[in-house]
Amino acid sequence: MTIDLTQFHDAFFEESFEALDSMEAALLKLDIGAPDKELINTIFRVAHSIKGGSATFGFSEIASFTHSLETLLDELRSGNMQVTLPMSDLLLKSVDVLRAMLRAVQAKQPLDAQRVSDLQFDLELMIAQKPALAPAFAPAPVPAPVAAPAPATEAVAPVAVTAPADGVEAAAGNRWQIRFRPFREFFARGNDPMRMLRELAELGELSVTVDADSLPQLAQLNPQECHLAWVLELSGAVAEEPIKQVFEWAEGDCELEIRQVGGRPAGVPEAILADAAADALLSVPAVEPAAATVAEPARSEAPVAPAAPVAAAKPEASVSSLDSGSIRVSVEKIDELMNTVGELVITQAMLNQLGSTLDGPTAEKLRAGLAQLERNTRELQESVMRVRMLPITFVFSRFPRMVRDLAQRLGKQIELKLTGEQTELDKTVLEKIGDPLVHLVRNSVDHGIETPETRIAAGKPAFGTVHLDACHRGGNIAVEVSDDGQGLDKDRILAKARARNLIGPNDQLTDEQIHDLIFLPGFSTAEKTTDVSGRGVGMDVVRRNVKELGGKIELRTERGKGSRFIITLPLTLAIVDGQSVAVGTETYIVPLISIVESMQLKTSSVSRLSGRGEVFSFRGDYLPIIRLHELYGIEPRAHSLQEGLIVVAEGDGRRVGLFVDDLLGQQQVVIKSLEANYGHVEGVSGATILGDGSVALILDVPGIIRAASLRAAA
Amino acid sequence: MKKRKPGTRSRPTGSTRPSRAARKPRSSGVFTLSAECTIAESAPLQADLSRLLDKEAPVTLDAKELQRIDTAGMQVIAAFVRERNAGGRQVQWRNAPPTLLCAARLLGLGALLGLPQPTP
Repeated sequence: MTIDLTQFHDAFFEESFEALDSMEAALLKLDIGAPDKELINTIFRVAHSIKGGSATFGFSEIASFTHSLETLLDELRSGNMQVTLPMSDLLLKSVDVLRAMLRAVQAKQPLDAQRVSDLQFDLELMIAQKPALAPAFAPAPVPAPVAAPAPATEAVAPVAVTAPADGVEAAAGNRWQIRFRPFREFFARGNDPMRMLRELAELGELSVTVDADSLPQLAQLNPQECHLAWVLELSGAVAEEPIKQVFEWAEGDCELEIRQVGGRPAGVPEAILADAAADALLSVPAVEPAAATVAEPARSEAPVAPAAPVAAAKPEASVSSLDSGSIRVSVEKIDELMNTVGELVITQAMLNQLGSTLDGPTAEKLRAGLAQLERNTRELQESVMRVRMLPITFVFSRFPRMVRDLAQRLGKQIELKLTGEQTELDKTVLEKIGDPLVHLVRNSVDHGIETPETRIAAGKPAFGTVHLDACHRGGNIAVEVSDDGQGLDKDRILAKARARNLIGPNDQLTDEQIHDLIFLPGFSTAEKTTDVSGRGVGMDVVRRNVKELGGKIELRTERGKGSRFIITLPLTLAIVDGQSVAVGTETYIVPLISIVESMQLKTSSVSRLSGRGEVFSFRGDYLPIIRLHELYGIEPRAHSLQEGLIVVAEGDGRRVGLFVDDLLGQQQVVIKSLEANYGHVEGVSGATILGDGSVALILDVPGIIRAASLRAAA
Repeated sequence: MKKRKPGTRSRPTGSTRPSRAARKPRSSGVFTLSAECTIAESAPLQADLSRLLDKEAPVTLDAKELQRIDTAGMQVIAAFVRERNAGGRQVQWRNAPPTLLCAARLLGLGALLGLPQPTP
């Protein structure tokens, strides 16, 4: 029976991308010179699991690349190589390349083979250039705990159980050297090295040299982990394929190197063979004399101790990945659930309304039951909403790398501070807030933070700080990007705005208005455009994206002290706080976030302007009046402006007065997509079902303003 | 936890495996390996051997009951023998069956464990 592996591809890609994120985060945390062992292990595990997965699924390029990466990481892990800045850069680049490779394979697109092979070459080069401080196959250069009196030395010295020279009958065959280093979790995966060695022994004459240097002391030993490694020599009429087959099931669970060390043509003196064998065995014994000179007191637990926590942590980590108490659910399923709960909310509201019209003792009981239903429904709704919530760390996690790279490129010293990463918000909001935040952080790094020299001259620490913070504020979430850089130069913004005729030469602007200028399309005060930012695209896009999410963005800045961008977002896009208004027999919902205030108009404050229709005076400003009944072709109850009410609403930075018959009340409404159920209507962002079962449209204020100005222009 | 004198280990409560009863080390320093020295039994084996680590007198490992051993079991024994040897304390073998000798030969652990070379 063959198993269709493609069904597992999606999970593999998803897990690999997540793993790469964690690898990247670990790499960024890695201290040059004195790296944390556990971090290196984390990084190694990622490379290892991607290698294993891609080999299983036949993504050979990825497997080959990760193999090189893994080899380098293993050198780090075993302490044979030190983490240097170029290496950290190389490893980060490898993450990028791996991501690109996975994406390409996922999309069934060709790989950027040149980039991959270049980097792979660099990796191999780095491995090849490692300082020769340890033999290739020896583990950490710590004095092994075996070092001690004579009997011990004798005991650990590698022993060729069957000396290769004895294998005379293998004369006409090949000789293979197999370096076999199982990973610690080798046993846990159901593998037993002994079984493999037995199979090898059946293929030909096998000489076994064990490397027990990594074997911890008994008390520190996790018996479920494999700490032994072997160098094997197999001679006889053996091809490579059968050897590979022996290790087939262990692929990805061990380091394996099979190489031919030369056949033995007939007539070659045995001494040569013996020499070659001695060479092969040289690597391990070479350590012994030095180790053996270490006196007995040195055989303390110290050298083993650092390995112990690692050993203990490993199986836990691999177990937790299997059993982390979470499951993957597709977003569609959650949306479906959300939809059903929305329906339930509506049904419950309908029942409530019905219940309130009834009388009598039974009605009383019914109402109590309905109240209970309402509570439960609300809880259910909140729970489902929480399922969609993800911590903002999913977005924040991309910044350490970005800031590091940018700072390096710009020659700045920047510390990135992340707080409130666990603040949760709706997945949809989360996905859409990423790009605006990237723009803001780039701006802070590029324009905000000064070069170290400038900072020191200004009496500031050379290290600039960019701070990303998220927190709940009321029913909203506030995300803040702040820096302690140079702040915005008001005069320069004004000069620029005047030069571009965005404001008149003598206009007096408040600070707030000046700050607003930077959100205008194409506005940039950067003296030179860099590839980081300064092209003037960005801030307007940031504001538009934030507005699309029903949020707003504010800027506070002080010259020389820094800037703060504060983005306020709704927790979810599925539910909106709305004001229901009556127009004729219809009910509309105006999102509360768009409402400035509601008022009754005096005749005196209304004027008619030719070409601009009706306007009314509002705090020293003239705002156009949009009569909703005209916009939607409804027969209103209130015909004159004095009979109805004006809702002052704001959208896209413009304010208008919406003329309605009456205000009905405020409520949370579940948004139903109009596009999904009907089609896009300008000025309407969605629909909801009210308690009485009727449908109310949710107004999209910016859309209405656009539609109204088009009508006015026509 | 109550401290026990090495070599006077009692059977852990709840264990009903017959093979483990036979393992009780006598004060003479003879420790009988159970029939199964595989990964499943590696943790108790480690615990048993740990208690014998510091015993001054030579410890004899009796493998007369041993029927199955895997790399995990061998690894525990290897760590034990190596550590004792390192401290200048001896480990001797008694009744080593072909299973054990074969395993030691395959894994290249014969010399480390101080086992005799099997006769081919």
